[in-house]
Amino acid sequence: MELANLFLSVLFFTFVGANILYLMLPGWRGLACLEGIAISFGLGVGCVTLEMLSFHMLNLRFNIRDIALPWVILIAVNAILFFRKKKRMELLKLETKKFNLLEVVLSLGILFEVSYAFFRALIKSIEAYDAVAIYAIKSKIFFLARGIPHDFFTGLANNFPHPDYPLNIPLAETFMYLFMGNLNDQLVKIIFPVYFVCILIVLYFAVRRFASRTYALIFTFILATIPQFNAYAANAYLDLPFAFYAFTSALFLFWWLVDRKNAPFLIVSAVMAGLAGWTKNEGLMYCAAYIMLAVIFFIFNIRKISRKDLACLFLYIVIIAAILTPWLYIKSASHLVNTDVGKVDSKVLSIWKEAYKLKPIFYEFQKQLFGPKKWNILWIALILSIIFNIKGAFRGIGKYIAISLALVVGGYVFIYMASPIDVTFFVKKTWSRFLLHFLPIVIYWLALILKEDIKI
Amino acid sequence: MKYKLLKIMFLVWVVLWIWFVVRDLFLKDNIDSYRVLLTRSLEGKRSYVTGDRLYEFLKFTAGKLPKEVFYNFIGLTPDSIENRRAVYYLYPLIEKEKPDYILVYDRPGFEEEGYALAAKMDESRYILKRKKGVSSWN
Repeated sequence: MELANLFLSVLFFTFVGANILYLMLPGWRGLACLEGIAISFGLGVGCVTLEMLSFHMLNLRFNIRDIALPWVILIAVNAILFFRKKKRMELLKLETKKFNLLEVVLSLGILFEVSYAFFRALIKSIEAYDAVAIYAIKSKIFFLARGIPHDFFTGLANNFPHPDYPLNIPLAETFMYLFMGNLNDQLVKIIFPVYFVCILIVLYFAVRRFASRTYALIFTFILATIPQFNAYAANAYLDLPFAFYAFTSALFLFWWLVDRKNAPFLIVSAVMAGLAGWTKNEGLMYCAAYIMLAVIFFIFNIRKISRKDLACLFLYIVIIAAILTPWLYIKSASHLVNTDVGKVDSKVLSIWKEAYKLKPIFYEFQKQLFGPKKWNILWIALILSIIFNIKGAFRGIGKYIAISLALVVGGYVFIYMASPIDVTFFVKKTWSRFLLHFLPIVIYWLALILKEDIKI
Repeated sequence: MKYKLLKIMFLVWVVLWIWFVVRDLFLKDNIDSYRVLLTRSLEGKRSYVTGDRLYEFLKFTAGKLPKEVFYNFIGLTPDSIENRRAVYYLYPLIEKEKPDYILVYDRPGFEEEGYALAAKMDESRYILKRKKGVSSWN
Protein backbone atom coordinates (compact mmCIF):
# COMPACT_ATOMS: atom_id res chain seq x y z
CA MET A 1 0.00 0.00 0.00
CA GLU A 2 2.83 2.34 0.95
CA LEU A 3 4.53 1.65 -2.36
CA ALA A 4 1.31 2.30 -4.29
CA ASN A 5 0.87 5.63 -2.48
CA LEU A 6 4.48 6.51 -3.26
CA PHE A 7 3.85 6.03 -6.98
CA LEU A 8 0.62 7.98 -6.68
CA SER A 9 2.50 10.91 -5.15
CA VAL A 10 4.99 10.89 -8.05
CA LEU A 11 2.04 10.73 -10.47
CA PHE A 12 0.34 13.59 -8.64
CA PHE A 13 3.42 15.83 -9.00
CA THR A 14 3.67 14.92 -12.68
CA PHE A 15 -0.02 15.46 -13.38
CA VAL A 16 -0.04 18.85 -11.67
CA GLY A 17 3.11 19.83 -13.58
CA ALA A 18 1.60 18.60 -16.85
CA ASN A 19 -1.39 20.87 -16.36
CA ILE A 20 0.73 23.90 -15.47
CA LEU A 21 2.89 23.21 -18.51
CA TYR A 22 -0.27 22.96 -20.60
CA LEU A 23 -1.20 26.48 -19.46
CA MET A 24 2.25 27.95 -20.07
CA LEU A 25 2.91 26.15 -23.32
CA PRO A 26 -0.50 25.60 -24.93
CA GLY A 27 -0.83 22.03 -26.15
CA TRP A 28 2.79 21.41 -25.05
CA ARG A 29 3.66 22.98 -28.39
CA GLY A 30 7.07 21.90 -29.65
CA LEU A 31 7.69 19.30 -26.95
CA ALA A 32 7.86 15.54 -27.35
CA CYS A 33 5.41 13.66 -25.14
CA LEU A 34 8.03 12.00 -22.92
CA GLU A 35 9.94 15.28 -22.71
CA GLY A 36 6.77 17.05 -21.53
CA ILE A 37 6.23 14.39 -18.86
CA ALA A 38 9.82 14.73 -17.63
CA ILE A 39 9.52 18.51 -17.39
CA SER A 40 6.10 18.15 -15.72
CA PHE A 41 7.50 16.13 -12.81
CA GLY A 42 9.99 18.82 -11.69
CA LEU A 43 7.53 21.59 -12.46
CA GLY A 44 4.84 19.85 -10.40
CA VAL A 45 7.19 19.31 -7.45
CA GLY A 46 8.21 22.97 -7.46
CA CYS A 47 4.67 24.34 -7.73
CA VAL A 48 3.16 22.02 -5.11
CA THR A 49 5.92 22.86 -2.62
CA LEU A 50 5.48 26.59 -3.28
CA GLU A 51 1.82 26.07 -2.47
CA MET A 52 2.85 24.31 0.76
CA LEU A 53 4.97 27.35 1.65
CA SER A 54 1.90 29.53 1.11
CA PHE A 55 0.05 27.27 3.59
CA HIS A 56 2.62 28.34 6.18
CA MET A 57 2.06 32.00 5.35
CA LEU A 58 -1.71 31.51 5.66
CA ASN A 59 -1.34 29.54 8.90
CA LEU A 60 -2.81 26.39 7.37
CA ARG A 61 -1.87 22.83 8.18
CA PHE A 62 -0.91 20.26 5.55
CA ASN A 63 -3.30 17.60 4.40
CA ILE A 64 -3.54 15.95 1.02
CA ARG A 65 -7.10 17.12 0.29
CA ASP A 66 -6.35 20.81 0.87
CA ILE A 67 -3.08 20.66 -1.04
CA ALA A 68 -4.75 18.94 -4.00
CA LEU A 69 -7.82 21.20 -4.14
CA PRO A 70 -6.40 24.18 -6.14
CA TRP A 71 -4.87 21.78 -8.64
CA VAL A 72 -8.16 19.96 -9.13
CA ILE A 73 -9.65 23.29 -10.21
CA LEU A 74 -6.79 23.87 -12.65
CA ILE A 75 -7.13 20.35 -14.04
CA ALA A 76 -10.89 20.87 -14.51
CA VAL A 77 -10.29 24.12 -16.45
CA ASN A 78 -7.68 22.42 -18.63
CA ALA A 79 -10.00 19.47 -19.23
CA ILE A 80 -12.74 21.83 -20.44
CA LEU A 81 -10.29 23.60 -22.76
CA PHE A 82 -8.93 20.30 -24.02
CA PHE A 83 -12.26 18.58 -24.68
CA ARG A 84 -13.72 21.66 -26.34
CA LYS A 85 -10.61 21.40 -28.53
CA LYS A 86 -9.65 24.98 -27.89
CA LYS A 87 -6.16 23.81 -27.00
CA ARG A 88 -5.11 20.73 -28.92
CA MET A 89 -1.88 18.93 -28.18
CA GLU A 90 0.83 20.07 -30.60
CA LEU A 91 3.58 17.61 -29.81
CA LEU A 92 6.95 17.43 -31.48
CA LYS A 93 6.97 14.51 -33.87
CA LEU A 94 10.20 12.64 -34.45
CA GLU A 95 10.74 9.95 -37.04
CA THR A 96 10.92 6.44 -35.64
CA LYS A 97 12.58 3.41 -37.15
CA LYS A 98 13.89 0.07 -35.94
CA PHE A 99 16.74 0.23 -33.41
CA ASN A 100 20.21 -0.64 -34.77
CA LEU A 101 22.76 -2.62 -32.73
CA LEU A 102 24.56 0.43 -31.34
CA GLU A 103 21.25 1.95 -30.25
CA VAL A 104 20.29 -1.26 -28.49
CA VAL A 105 23.64 -1.38 -26.66
CA LEU A 106 23.40 2.31 -25.68
CA SER A 107 19.81 1.87 -24.47
CA LEU A 108 20.82 -1.14 -22.39
CA GLY A 109 23.71 0.86 -20.89
CA ILE A 110 21.33 3.70 -19.95
CA LEU A 111 18.80 1.22 -18.59
CA PHE A 112 21.49 -0.38 -16.44
CA GLU A 113 22.57 2.98 -15.00
CA VAL A 114 18.98 4.05 -14.34
CA SER A 115 18.08 0.73 -12.67
CA TYR A 116 21.25 0.83 -10.58
CA ALA A 117 20.48 4.41 -9.47
CA PHE A 118 16.97 3.36 -8.34
CA PHE A 119 18.39 0.30 -6.62
CA ARG A 120 21.05 2.27 -4.71
CA ALA A 121 18.54 4.96 -3.75
CA LEU A 122 15.90 2.57 -2.49
CA ILE A 123 18.02 -0.04 -0.77
CA LYS A 124 18.69 2.11 2.29
CA SER A 125 17.21 4.98 4.25
CA ILE A 126 18.52 8.53 4.00
CA GLU A 127 22.01 8.56 5.51
CA ALA A 128 24.39 10.96 3.73
CA TYR A 129 25.51 14.00 5.72
CA ASP A 130 23.67 16.94 4.12
CA ALA A 131 20.71 14.73 3.24
CA VAL A 132 20.13 13.94 6.92
CA ALA A 133 21.42 17.06 8.66
CA ILE A 134 19.87 19.69 6.40
CA TYR A 135 16.99 18.27 4.38
CA ALA A 136 15.55 15.09 5.94
CA ILE A 137 15.37 16.65 9.41
CA LYS A 138 13.24 19.47 8.00
CA SER A 139 10.88 17.12 6.19
CA LYS A 140 10.55 15.07 9.39
CA ILE A 141 9.69 18.23 11.39
CA PHE A 142 7.10 19.30 8.80
CA PHE A 143 5.56 15.84 8.60
CA LEU A 144 5.26 15.40 12.38
CA ALA A 145 3.78 18.91 12.74
CA ARG A 146 1.57 18.47 9.64
CA GLY A 147 2.83 21.87 8.51
CA ILE A 148 5.71 24.29 8.88
CA PRO A 149 5.61 25.14 12.61
CA HIS A 150 4.69 28.76 13.22
CA ASP A 151 8.01 29.59 14.91
CA PHE A 152 10.09 27.32 12.68
CA PHE A 153 12.15 29.99 10.92
CA THR A 154 12.76 32.13 13.98
CA GLY A 155 13.40 29.33 16.47
CA LEU A 156 13.47 25.63 15.67
CA ALA A 157 15.34 25.91 12.35
CA ASN A 158 18.35 27.41 14.10
CA ASN A 159 18.96 24.12 15.93
CA PHE A 160 19.98 22.53 12.65
CA PRO A 161 22.61 23.38 10.01
CA HIS A 162 21.79 25.82 7.21
CA PRO A 163 18.33 27.06 8.20
CA ASP A 164 18.45 29.40 5.20
CA TYR A 165 18.44 26.63 2.58
CA PRO A 166 15.34 26.62 0.33
CA LEU A 167 12.61 24.10 1.09
CA ASN A 168 11.58 22.72 -2.29
CA ILE A 169 12.83 19.17 -1.77
CA PRO A 170 12.23 18.95 2.02
CA LEU A 171 8.61 19.94 1.36
CA ALA A 172 8.36 17.47 -1.54
CA GLU A 173 9.57 14.76 0.85
CA THR A 174 6.97 15.93 3.40
CA PHE A 175 4.25 15.69 0.76
CA MET A 176 5.31 12.13 -0.07
CA TYR A 177 5.29 11.21 3.62
CA LEU A 178 1.75 12.63 3.84
CA PHE A 179 0.73 10.62 0.80
CA MET A 180 2.25 7.43 2.22
CA GLY A 181 0.90 8.23 5.70
CA ASN A 182 4.25 7.26 7.14
CA LEU A 183 7.73 8.67 7.60
CA ASN A 184 9.40 6.19 5.28
CA ASP A 185 12.79 7.79 4.66
CA GLN A 186 13.80 4.91 2.44
CA LEU A 187 11.02 5.04 -0.16
CA VAL A 188 10.98 8.85 -0.27
CA LYS A 189 14.43 8.71 -1.88
CA ILE A 190 12.73 7.69 -5.12
CA ILE A 191 12.48 11.39 -5.89
CA PHE A 192 16.22 11.60 -6.65
CA PRO A 193 16.57 8.90 -9.33
CA VAL A 194 13.34 10.25 -10.84
CA TYR A 195 15.05 13.63 -11.28
CA PHE A 196 18.03 11.75 -12.75
CA VAL A 197 15.79 10.10 -15.35
CA CYS A 198 14.06 13.42 -16.10
CA ILE A 199 17.40 15.10 -16.84
CA LEU A 200 18.36 12.24 -19.17
CA ILE A 201 15.04 12.52 -21.02
CA VAL A 202 15.30 16.31 -21.38
CA LEU A 203 18.88 15.97 -22.68
CA TYR A 204 17.92 13.21 -25.11
CA PHE A 205 15.19 15.29 -26.74
CA ALA A 206 17.30 18.44 -26.69
CA VAL A 207 19.98 16.65 -28.75
CA ARG A 208 17.37 14.82 -30.81
CA ARG A 209 16.13 18.16 -32.10
CA PHE A 210 19.28 18.61 -34.18
CA ALA A 211 20.64 15.08 -34.55
CA SER A 212 19.80 11.43 -35.12
CA ARG A 213 18.49 9.04 -32.50
CA THR A 214 21.87 7.25 -32.30
CA TYR A 215 23.68 10.52 -31.70
CA ALA A 216 21.17 11.58 -29.01
CA LEU A 217 21.50 8.21 -27.32
CA ILE A 218 25.32 8.48 -27.29
CA PHE A 219 25.20 11.73 -25.29
CA THR A 220 22.42 10.49 -23.03
CA PHE A 221 24.57 7.43 -22.36
CA ILE A 222 27.59 9.66 -21.65
CA LEU A 223 25.64 11.69 -19.07
CA ALA A 224 24.08 8.61 -17.47
CA THR A 225 27.45 6.92 -17.04
CA ILE A 226 29.36 9.79 -15.45
CA PRO A 227 30.24 8.28 -12.04
CA GLN A 228 29.74 11.51 -10.08
CA PHE A 229 26.42 12.26 -11.74
CA ASN A 230 25.15 8.76 -11.13
CA ALA A 231 26.33 8.75 -7.51
CA TYR A 232 24.27 11.86 -6.78
CA ALA A 233 21.15 10.23 -8.21
CA ALA A 234 20.93 8.07 -5.12
CA ASN A 235 22.36 9.90 -2.09
CA ALA A 236 19.46 12.32 -1.44
CA TYR A 237 21.54 15.46 -2.03
CA LEU A 238 19.80 18.24 -3.94
CA ASP A 239 22.38 18.74 -6.66
CA LEU A 240 20.53 16.71 -9.30
CA PRO A 241 17.10 18.25 -8.68
CA PHE A 242 18.85 21.60 -8.88
CA ALA A 243 20.67 20.61 -12.09
CA PHE A 244 17.29 19.65 -13.57
CA TYR A 245 15.86 23.14 -13.05
CA ALA A 246 19.05 24.92 -14.10
CA PHE A 247 19.27 22.78 -17.25
CA THR A 248 15.67 23.10 -18.41
CA SER A 249 15.70 26.81 -17.69
CA ALA A 250 18.88 27.26 -19.73
CA LEU A 251 17.62 25.18 -22.66
CA PHE A 252 14.35 27.06 -23.02
CA LEU A 253 16.19 30.36 -22.72
CA PHE A 254 18.68 29.36 -25.43
CA TRP A 255 15.82 28.28 -27.71
CA TRP A 256 14.01 31.55 -27.10
CA LEU A 257 17.16 33.55 -27.91
CA VAL A 258 17.25 31.75 -31.27
CA ASP A 259 13.51 32.07 -31.94
CA ARG A 260 12.08 35.03 -30.07
CA LYS A 261 8.59 34.50 -31.48
CA ASN A 262 8.27 31.58 -29.11
CA ALA A 263 7.47 33.57 -25.95
CA PRO A 264 6.02 30.55 -24.04
CA PHE A 265 9.53 29.05 -24.06
CA LEU A 266 10.77 32.10 -22.18
CA ILE A 267 7.99 31.68 -19.63
CA VAL A 268 8.99 28.05 -19.06
CA SER A 269 12.62 29.16 -18.69
CA ALA A 270 11.68 31.82 -16.14
CA VAL A 271 9.58 29.41 -14.07
CA MET A 272 12.36 26.81 -14.06
CA ALA A 273 14.95 29.45 -13.10
CA GLY A 274 12.72 30.54 -10.23
CA LEU A 275 12.34 26.92 -9.13
CA ALA A 276 16.14 26.52 -9.25
CA GLY A 277 16.31 29.36 -6.72
CA TRP A 278 13.64 27.58 -4.69
CA THR A 279 15.75 24.38 -4.66
CA LYS A 280 19.20 25.66 -3.74
CA ASN A 281 20.68 29.03 -2.85
CA GLU A 282 22.95 28.77 -5.89
CA GLY A 283 19.78 29.12 -7.92
CA LEU A 284 19.79 32.86 -7.25
CA MET A 285 23.14 33.05 -8.99
CA TYR A 286 21.77 31.08 -11.95
CA CYS A 287 18.77 33.43 -12.16
CA ALA A 288 21.16 36.38 -12.24
CA ALA A 289 23.37 34.64 -14.84
CA TYR A 290 20.43 33.87 -17.14
CA ILE A 291 19.09 37.42 -16.86
CA MET A 292 22.59 38.73 -17.63
CA LEU A 293 22.84 36.38 -20.61
CA ALA A 294 19.57 37.77 -21.99
CA VAL A 295 20.79 41.35 -21.41
CA ILE A 296 24.11 40.59 -23.13
CA PHE A 297 22.18 39.11 -26.04
CA PHE A 298 20.04 42.25 -26.26
CA ILE A 299 23.10 44.50 -26.21
CA PHE A 300 24.81 42.58 -29.03
CA ASN A 301 21.63 42.37 -31.11
CA ILE A 302 20.24 45.80 -30.32
CA ARG A 303 19.09 46.45 -33.88
CA LYS A 304 17.06 43.25 -34.05
CA ILE A 305 15.35 43.81 -30.71
CA SER A 306 11.69 44.78 -30.76
CA ARG A 307 9.56 46.29 -28.00
CA LYS A 308 7.92 42.91 -27.61
CA ASP A 309 11.33 41.35 -26.91
CA LEU A 310 11.99 43.96 -24.23
CA ALA A 311 8.58 43.23 -22.71
CA CYS A 312 9.48 39.53 -22.71
CA LEU A 313 12.73 40.25 -20.85
CA PHE A 314 10.78 42.29 -18.31
CA LEU A 315 8.28 39.44 -17.95
CA TYR A 316 11.19 37.01 -17.45
CA ILE A 317 12.47 39.01 -14.48
CA VAL A 318 8.96 39.48 -13.06
CA ILE A 319 8.19 35.73 -13.15
CA ILE A 320 11.46 34.82 -11.43
CA ALA A 321 10.87 37.51 -8.80
CA ALA A 322 7.28 36.36 -8.25
CA ILE A 323 8.38 32.77 -7.60
CA LEU A 324 11.22 33.71 -5.28
CA THR A 325 9.71 36.62 -3.35
CA PRO A 326 7.73 34.61 -0.73
CA TRP A 327 10.77 32.56 0.22
CA LEU A 328 13.16 35.53 0.17
CA TYR A 329 10.71 37.50 2.29
CA ILE A 330 10.53 34.72 4.89
CA LYS A 331 14.33 34.46 4.91
CA SER A 332 14.76 38.17 5.31
CA ALA A 333 12.05 38.55 7.96
CA SER A 334 13.50 35.64 9.95
CA HIS A 335 17.12 36.87 9.55
CA LEU A 336 18.23 33.56 8.08
CA VAL A 337 21.81 33.98 6.91
CA ASN A 338 23.96 31.61 4.87
CA THR A 339 26.75 30.35 7.09
CA ASP A 340 29.07 29.61 4.16
CA VAL A 341 28.92 33.01 2.54
CA GLY A 342 27.68 35.10 5.47
CA LYS A 343 26.34 38.59 5.21
CA VAL A 344 27.52 40.56 2.22
CA ASP A 345 29.74 43.28 3.60
CA SER A 346 32.46 45.67 2.48
CA LYS A 347 34.82 42.69 2.19
CA VAL A 348 33.03 41.66 -0.98
CA LEU A 349 33.62 45.09 -2.45
CA SER A 350 37.37 44.69 -2.02
CA ILE A 351 37.36 41.19 -3.43
CA TRP A 352 40.73 41.75 -5.12
CA LYS A 353 42.27 41.41 -1.67
CA GLU A 354 41.09 37.82 -1.75
CA ALA A 355 43.00 37.13 -4.97
CA TYR A 356 45.34 34.76 -3.10
CA LYS A 357 42.41 32.35 -2.98
CA LEU A 358 42.54 31.87 -6.74
CA LYS A 359 45.49 29.50 -6.45
CA PRO A 360 43.72 26.80 -4.35
CA ILE A 361 40.54 27.37 -6.37
CA PHE A 362 42.22 26.68 -9.71
CA TYR A 363 44.25 23.84 -8.23
CA GLU A 364 40.99 22.08 -7.33
CA PHE A 365 39.49 22.95 -10.72
CA GLN A 366 42.33 21.24 -12.60
CA LYS A 367 42.19 18.27 -10.21
CA GLN A 368 38.57 17.67 -11.24
CA LEU A 369 39.33 18.33 -14.90
CA PHE A 370 42.00 15.67 -15.26
CA GLY A 371 40.90 13.09 -12.68
CA PRO A 372 38.82 10.41 -14.46
CA LYS A 373 37.49 8.81 -11.23
CA LYS A 374 34.46 11.07 -11.04
CA TRP A 375 34.07 12.35 -14.58
CA ASN A 376 35.51 9.70 -16.88
CA ILE A 377 37.21 11.73 -19.67
CA LEU A 378 34.45 14.32 -19.96
CA TRP A 379 36.44 17.49 -19.33
CA ILE A 380 39.36 16.34 -21.47
CA ALA A 381 36.88 15.48 -24.24
CA LEU A 382 35.30 18.92 -23.93
CA ILE A 383 38.65 20.74 -24.09
CA LEU A 384 39.79 18.69 -27.12
CA SER A 385 36.46 19.20 -28.87
CA ILE A 386 36.66 22.97 -28.39
CA ILE A 387 40.30 23.09 -29.56
CA PHE A 388 39.55 21.10 -32.71
CA ASN A 389 36.30 22.96 -33.44
CA ILE A 390 36.98 26.41 -32.09
CA LYS A 391 34.64 28.17 -34.53
CA GLY A 392 31.81 25.67 -34.26
CA ALA A 393 31.94 25.70 -30.46
CA PHE A 394 30.94 29.35 -30.31
CA ARG A 395 28.48 29.39 -33.19
CA GLY A 396 24.68 29.67 -32.77
CA ILE A 397 23.45 28.38 -29.43
CA GLY A 398 27.06 27.44 -28.59
CA LYS A 399 28.00 31.04 -27.87
CA TYR A 400 25.07 31.46 -25.45
CA ILE A 401 26.05 28.26 -23.69
CA ALA A 402 29.66 29.47 -23.43
CA ILE A 403 28.55 32.82 -21.98
CA SER A 404 26.17 31.21 -19.49
CA LEU A 405 28.87 28.76 -18.35
CA ALA A 406 31.39 31.59 -17.99
CA LEU A 407 28.87 33.53 -15.89
CA VAL A 408 28.05 30.66 -13.54
CA VAL A 409 31.67 29.53 -13.13
CA GLY A 410 32.57 33.18 -12.46
CA GLY A 411 29.76 33.24 -9.91
CA TYR A 412 31.13 30.19 -8.09
CA VAL A 413 34.65 31.69 -8.05
CA PHE A 414 33.18 34.88 -6.59
CA ILE A 415 31.39 32.88 -3.85
CA TYR A 416 34.61 31.04 -2.97
CA MET A 417 36.47 34.34 -2.73
CA ALA A 418 33.79 36.13 -0.71
CA SER A 419 33.25 33.25 1.73
CA PRO A 420 34.82 33.50 5.19
CA ILE A 421 35.39 29.71 5.18
CA ASP A 422 38.90 28.37 4.56
CA VAL A 423 38.99 28.33 0.77
CA THR A 424 40.99 25.10 0.39
CA PHE A 425 38.49 23.22 2.56
CA PHE A 426 35.47 24.88 0.92
CA VAL A 427 36.48 24.31 -2.68
CA LYS A 428 37.64 20.74 -1.99
CA LYS A 429 34.31 19.89 -0.33
CA THR A 430 32.02 21.52 -2.88
CA TRP A 431 33.48 21.98 -6.36
CA SER A 432 32.87 18.42 -7.55
CA ARG A 433 29.22 18.88 -6.52
CA PHE A 434 28.89 22.34 -8.06
CA LEU A 435 30.10 20.94 -11.39
CA LEU A 436 26.99 18.75 -11.42
CA HIS A 437 24.79 21.83 -11.53
CA PHE A 438 25.82 22.71 -15.08
CA LEU A 439 26.95 19.28 -16.22
CA PRO A 440 23.88 18.58 -18.44
CA ILE A 441 24.43 21.95 -20.16
CA VAL A 442 28.06 20.94 -20.81
CA ILE A 443 26.99 17.60 -22.34
CA TYR A 444 24.47 19.40 -24.53
CA TRP A 445 27.22 21.77 -25.66
CA LEU A 446 29.56 18.86 -26.38
CA ALA A 447 26.84 17.28 -28.53
CA LEU A 448 26.46 20.54 -30.44
CA ILE A 449 30.21 20.93 -30.96
CA LEU A 450 30.76 17.41 -32.26
CA LYS A 451 27.78 17.41 -34.60
CA GLU A 452 28.88 17.53 -38.23
CA ASP A 453 25.86 19.32 -39.62
CA ILE A 454 24.12 21.45 -37.03
CA LYS A 455 20.59 22.44 -38.05
CA ILE A 456 19.94 25.00 -35.28
CA MET B 1 37.56 14.92 -38.08
CA LYS B 2 34.70 15.41 -35.62
CA TYR B 3 33.50 11.89 -36.28
CA LYS B 4 36.96 10.43 -35.62
CA LEU B 5 37.32 12.45 -32.43
CA LEU B 6 33.90 11.32 -31.22
CA LYS B 7 34.67 7.70 -32.07
CA ILE B 8 37.98 7.66 -30.19
CA MET B 9 36.59 9.46 -27.17
CA PHE B 10 33.57 7.21 -27.06
CA LEU B 11 35.67 4.04 -27.14
CA VAL B 12 37.90 5.27 -24.30
CA TRP B 13 34.75 6.31 -22.45
CA VAL B 14 33.16 2.85 -22.68
CA VAL B 15 36.33 1.07 -21.53
CA LEU B 16 36.60 3.35 -18.48
CA TRP B 17 32.87 3.01 -17.79
CA ILE B 18 33.11 -0.79 -17.66
CA TRP B 19 36.04 -0.47 -15.26
CA PHE B 20 34.07 1.96 -13.04
CA VAL B 21 31.06 -0.36 -12.91
CA VAL B 22 33.24 -3.35 -11.96
CA ARG B 23 35.07 -1.28 -9.36
CA ASP B 24 31.83 0.05 -7.87
CA LEU B 25 30.19 -3.35 -7.62
CA PHE B 26 33.03 -5.64 -6.66
CA LEU B 27 36.14 -3.78 -5.51
CA LYS B 28 34.34 -1.44 -3.12
CA ASP B 29 32.62 -4.35 -1.33
CA ASN B 30 29.25 -2.87 -2.25
CA ILE B 31 27.82 -6.29 -3.02
CA ASP B 32 28.34 -7.41 0.61
CA SER B 33 26.57 -4.34 1.90
CA TYR B 34 23.71 -4.75 -0.61
CA ARG B 35 23.29 -8.38 0.47
CA VAL B 36 22.93 -7.31 4.12
CA LEU B 37 20.56 -4.44 3.30
CA LEU B 38 18.30 -6.59 1.14
CA THR B 39 17.52 -8.83 4.10
CA ARG B 40 16.71 -6.00 6.51
CA SER B 41 13.47 -4.17 7.35
CA LEU B 42 13.28 -0.35 7.28
CA GLU B 43 14.31 -0.24 10.96
CA GLY B 44 17.09 -2.67 10.19
CA LYS B 45 18.34 -0.53 7.34
CA ARG B 46 18.33 2.57 9.56
CA SER B 47 20.27 0.62 12.12
CA TYR B 48 22.75 -0.59 9.50
CA VAL B 49 23.52 2.87 8.09
CA THR B 50 23.74 4.46 11.55
CA GLY B 51 25.73 1.63 13.10
CA ASP B 52 23.82 -1.05 15.00
CA ARG B 53 25.34 -0.18 18.36
CA LEU B 54 24.57 3.54 18.16
CA TYR B 55 21.09 2.98 16.73
CA GLU B 56 20.29 0.57 19.56
CA PHE B 57 21.21 3.31 22.05
CA LEU B 58 19.12 5.88 20.19
CA LYS B 59 16.06 3.63 20.33
CA PHE B 60 16.72 3.05 24.03
CA THR B 61 16.99 6.82 24.58
CA ALA B 62 13.84 7.63 22.60
CA GLY B 63 11.94 5.14 24.78
CA LYS B 64 13.22 6.58 28.05
CA LEU B 65 13.11 10.35 27.56
CA PRO B 66 9.89 12.34 27.88
CA LYS B 67 8.76 14.45 24.93
CA GLU B 68 10.02 17.99 24.42
CA VAL B 69 13.14 17.85 26.54
CA PHE B 70 16.65 18.91 25.64
CA TYR B 71 19.61 16.59 25.52
CA ASN B 72 23.28 16.67 24.71
CA PHE B 73 25.68 13.95 23.66
CA ILE B 74 28.90 12.93 25.31
CA GLY B 75 30.96 10.58 23.18
CA LEU B 76 29.85 11.70 19.74
CA THR B 77 31.95 14.33 17.98
CA PRO B 78 29.82 17.47 17.49
CA ASP B 79 28.70 17.89 13.88
CA SER B 80 30.04 14.46 12.91
CA ILE B 81 27.86 12.32 10.65
CA GLU B 82 27.01 10.07 13.65
CA ASN B 83 25.92 13.14 15.62
CA ARG B 84 23.74 14.45 12.76
CA ARG B 85 22.09 11.04 12.29
CA ALA B 86 21.45 10.81 16.05
CA VAL B 87 19.87 14.30 16.04
CA TYR B 88 17.67 13.24 13.11
CA TYR B 89 16.45 10.03 14.71
CA LEU B 90 15.88 11.58 18.15
CA TYR B 91 13.75 14.49 16.92
CA PRO B 92 11.32 15.76 18.37
CA LEU B 93 13.88 15.72 21.17
CA ILE B 94 16.22 18.65 20.64
CA GLU B 95 19.98 18.82 21.14
CA LYS B 96 21.04 21.82 23.28
CA GLU B 97 24.20 22.90 25.01
CA LYS B 98 22.51 23.20 28.43
CA PRO B 99 20.39 20.05 28.42
CA ASP B 100 17.89 18.32 30.67
CA TYR B 101 19.56 15.02 29.84
CA ILE B 102 23.07 13.99 28.93
CA LEU B 103 23.35 10.96 26.65
CA VAL B 104 26.61 9.16 27.32
CA TYR B 105 27.80 6.98 24.49
CA ASP B 106 30.99 4.93 24.77
CA ARG B 107 32.36 7.00 27.65
CA PRO B 108 32.34 4.58 30.59
CA GLY B 109 32.48 6.32 33.95
CA PHE B 110 31.54 9.77 32.66
CA GLU B 111 29.92 11.98 35.29
CA GLU B 112 28.69 15.58 35.32
CA GLU B 113 28.05 17.77 38.35
CA GLY B 114 24.35 18.39 38.90
CA TYR B 115 23.32 15.29 36.94
CA ALA B 116 22.39 11.83 38.17
CA LEU B 117 21.99 8.49 36.44
CA ALA B 118 18.50 8.19 34.91
CA ALA B 119 18.72 5.04 32.80
CA LYS B 120 21.45 2.62 31.91
CA MET B 121 21.77 0.41 28.86
CA ASP B 122 25.23 -0.91 29.74
CA GLU B 123 28.46 0.33 31.32
CA SER B 124 29.31 2.65 28.45
CA ARG B 125 25.84 3.72 27.26
CA TYR B 126 23.60 5.51 29.72
CA ILE B 127 21.51 8.63 30.36
CA LEU B 128 22.14 11.29 33.01
CA LYS B 129 19.31 13.55 34.19
CA ARG B 130 19.65 17.05 35.60
CA LYS B 131 18.93 17.02 39.34
CA LYS B 132 15.93 18.98 40.58
CA GLY B 133 16.78 22.50 41.62
CA VAL B 134 19.85 22.66 39.36
CA SER B 135 19.43 25.42 36.82
CA SER B 136 19.93 24.54 33.16
CA TRP B 137 21.93 27.78 32.86
CA ASN B 138 24.75 26.66 35.16
